[in-house]
Amino acid sequence: MFGAKIRIERTLLEKVKRYSKIAGYSSVEEFVTHALEKEVAKLEDAASEEEIKERLKGLGYIS
Amino acid sequence: MNIRGLFGKDKQDQPVIVVSGLPRSGTSMVMRMLDAGGVQIFTDSVRRADEDNPRGYFELERVKNLEKQPDKGWLKDARGKAIKVVSPLLPELPSENTYLLLFINRNLHEVIASQNKMLARRGEKVDPASDERMRGLFEKHLGKTKTWLKGNAHFKVLELVYSQVVADPVGEARRIRQFLERELDVSKMAGAVEEPLYRNRAKVETNS
Repeated sequence: MFGAKIRIERTLLEKVKRYSKIAGYSSVEEFVTHALEKEVAKLEDAASEEEIKERLKGLGYIS
Repeated sequence: MNIRGLFGKDKQDQPVIVVSGLPRSGTSMVMRMLDAGGVQIFTDSVRRADEDNPRGYFELERVKNLEKQPDKGWLKDARGKAIKVVSPLLPELPSENTYLLLFINRNLHEVIASQNKMLARRGEKVDPASDERMRGLFEKHLGKTKTWLKGNAHFKVLELVYSQVVADPVGEARRIRQFLERELDVSKMAGAVEEPLYRNRAKVETNS
């Protein structure tokens, strides 16, 4: 797969390699991609809720 | 086991009746039905009736900043009564109470159209170009909220659909009475539904 390269600390990389194998991921890339997707989804979710709350503040239902 | 058995009979053990949904889903209409039917409403009447809600809001100012309150013990005073809480604030309700939740669904095109009018009247910025995006956010929010409710045993939920309540107020009032297991006046509840107040109708009626 083509894409940007990301630098991470060697000790973290060793852990990532070890645990991606234990968790059954087929590659380090697959594990890292999955972890990042999960984290981004969480942040997106929080941002969406915040946007809704802002709208409800404008409507006078939340202060 | 029935609701009384599950939630207790004493006033102190009674569940709080919560009316919820997105703003402009018909929550005030359902509050009005409960009021007419004989349920005590927990409101401070600070927010007055206006063009958007000609029959009043039935709100409590204290609910609006639930997120910021470390002590929500005052909600015990709402036991046995009905309180309006918009859906994004439901997770803020403390688990020391049990809740009988009437969750109102309405076509999201109608909800957004009605909210836009209200925002404009309040002098807030309205961007119709963001309607579709907002619809997506609301859909996601509603799905997430309903999943969250299923995982929280202190909530018992009855879902209502706004257009269905307007079309069959007597039938829906009966459903509410049955769910709440209270002696409510169904005909007065139905009489509180005013079809002319259903002003923002989507061209194609769906329940989304």
